[in-house]
Amino acid sequence: MAAQVSTELEITEDRFWVYRRKLRDFWKLYRRSVLGRIGLVIVLSFVTVAIAAPWIAPYDPFAFVGDPFLKPSPSHILGTDQVGRDIFSRVIYGTRISLLVGLVASAMTIGLGTVIGLVSGYLGGSVDNLLMRVTDLFIILPALPLMLIMASILGKGIINIIIVISVIGWTATARMVRSQTLSLKERPFTEASRAIGSTDLHTIGRHIVPNVFPLVFANGMIAIVDAVLSEAGLSFLGFGDPSSPSWGMVLYFADRAGATVNGYWWYIVPPGLCIMFLVMGFAFISYSTDQILNPRLRRR
Amino acid sequence: MRDYLVKRGVSALITLALALVLNFFLFRIMPGDPTRTVVGDFRVTPEIKQALVHQFGLDQPLWVQFVLYLQNLFVGNLGVSFQYRGTPVTSIIFGRRLFNTFILMGSSMGVALIIGVIIGTIAAWKRESKFDIGAVVFSLVTYSMPVFWLGMMIILVFGYYLDWIPIAGTITVGMTYSNVFEYAADYLYHMTGPFVTLTLSFLGFYFLIMRDSILDVFTEDYMLTAKAKGLSDRKILFRHAMRNAMLPMVSLLAVEVTYLFGGATMTETVFSWYGIGRLIYEAVVMADYPVLQGIFVVMSVLVITANFCADIVYAFLDPRIRY
Repeated sequence: MAAQVSTELEITEDRFWVYRRKLRDFWKLYRRSVLGRIGLVIVLSFVTVAIAAPWIAPYDPFAFVGDPFLKPSPSHILGTDQVGRDIFSRVIYGTRISLLVGLVASAMTIGLGTVIGLVSGYLGGSVDNLLMRVTDLFIILPALPLMLIMASILGKGIINIIIVISVIGWTATARMVRSQTLSLKERPFTEASRAIGSTDLHTIGRHIVPNVFPLVFANGMIAIVDAVLSEAGLSFLGFGDPSSPSWGMVLYFADRAGATVNGYWWYIVPPGLCIMFLVMGFAFISYSTDQILNPRLRRR
Repeated sequence: MRDYLVKRGVSALITLALALVLNFFLFRIMPGDPTRTVVGDFRVTPEIKQALVHQFGLDQPLWVQFVLYLQNLFVGNLGVSFQYRGTPVTSIIFGRRLFNTFILMGSSMGVALIIGVIIGTIAAWKRESKFDIGAVVFSLVTYSMPVFWLGMMIILVFGYYLDWIPIAGTITVGMTYSNVFEYAADYLYHMTGPFVTLTLSFLGFYFLIMRDSILDVFTEDYMLTAKAKGLSDRKILFRHAMRNAMLPMVSLLAVEVTYLFGGATMTETVFSWYGIGRLIYEAVVMADYPVLQGIFVVMSVLVITANFCADIVYAFLDPRIRY
């Protein structure tokens, strides 16, 4: 019994070192990419702002701290909105919501897509057929109208925005995971695993998931990009929750206040730039990750 | 070839069936009375309500409703709108709005495609040159901008500060036109803002796909053959590389057809463009479910047909494809 425990431990330890080495190799390649480094810096800066929001923001984002429509001044760097809330503080706090929704929604998208892709690819047959037709449908239908229709059925709120984004967005991941699973299923090591009597769950978890993970990860970065942009769009159209304002929500209020036709640039430009830079950060990371992990691109 | 066609046709039909089923149940999973979303709205008069309940079998079991829904769909009856007090959905969708969306989307997508293909080809050829890096960064920047924000910025700069473009609408309200050209001029003048917004937002995407596709083609053996034959760079690039790289664009365009119809909801909303995209937004805000359902159906049929056509074209263009 004792001997067996130590073997188990040895295997675990062995795996730990393998993963560590792989991670280090990845980091070595990643570090060489200029875009990748820029992206990482941008994203980490936003994460810092999100965590340190209470210390950076001069005012409570919900408090009425001045007259409505104040122009930028030393006491209100970006002026105040239509009810006298400090716009700068609202943008700072908006980082939290935008980042959080982006991360959670993309994690759910990726999770859903991976599970469906694995099931579809591993089981094959009519299950696979049906799931792939559903994927077809979701891939070719335009995302935004579909999201709007779903959002109108589910109602407003952050949770519903997250649900809408992940239900509409899982298909790309599912397709990719499925095609990987199909090819991995036929490899000798999976066959060997089945031959020694492993359960399907074990074969999937031990031999297929670790091999699709790199691609899922690269895909996950682009899923964050989509999620952040979708959240901004849905919030801008008024599906957000006023009690947890994101950047898209700030722009929604800006639009309501007629910021464009009155020339309140300080109300429109900053939240938009924030969305743009955050998306760009993740897009750069995704681009460099893809260059390293995608074998099709490495060849060039 | 025939087997391939039949196979694609069957899978297109299955996808369509799924879309119709989804459309039926999506609007019936809402809490409360399921008929509410079809007729149960105060904006619809009792007489019309009566007729609709009969037409769609709303007092009957769900499966009867489903059969009637399909039957009505087949003869082009999509129900009536709530916000327009009983106007048939078909006449709302297939009218002025569709025309406006078609013109706006068609022109901006066309222009973006042409520019994107040309710049993409050049950038891939001069890979990692200043031009290439500049174009990639530009497209990443436009890709990262939310479209609605780009539209707002264009209104702010060109509408508010420079006063070059109108800030909203499709035509000047209350204006009378002496001839059709005056009307067209006013129309195009109003289209400038949304046109530029959409062209910029599509451009980066087309460019990146084309560039990627050309880079892929460069790794093919026939490129080496072309070079070995002693063909000039120009000939290799435009005769061999560009032609083959256009293949992925075919399937891309099929997907883009949806935008021709579904429009850019964001852009149309920001610029108050009287099109289908804004109709979707309005219908969502006004809880006009029949209109949404109608749009979903038309959109699905259109997209699935377009994709099927693209598959066929693709097979003709690329003889290597024989699934």
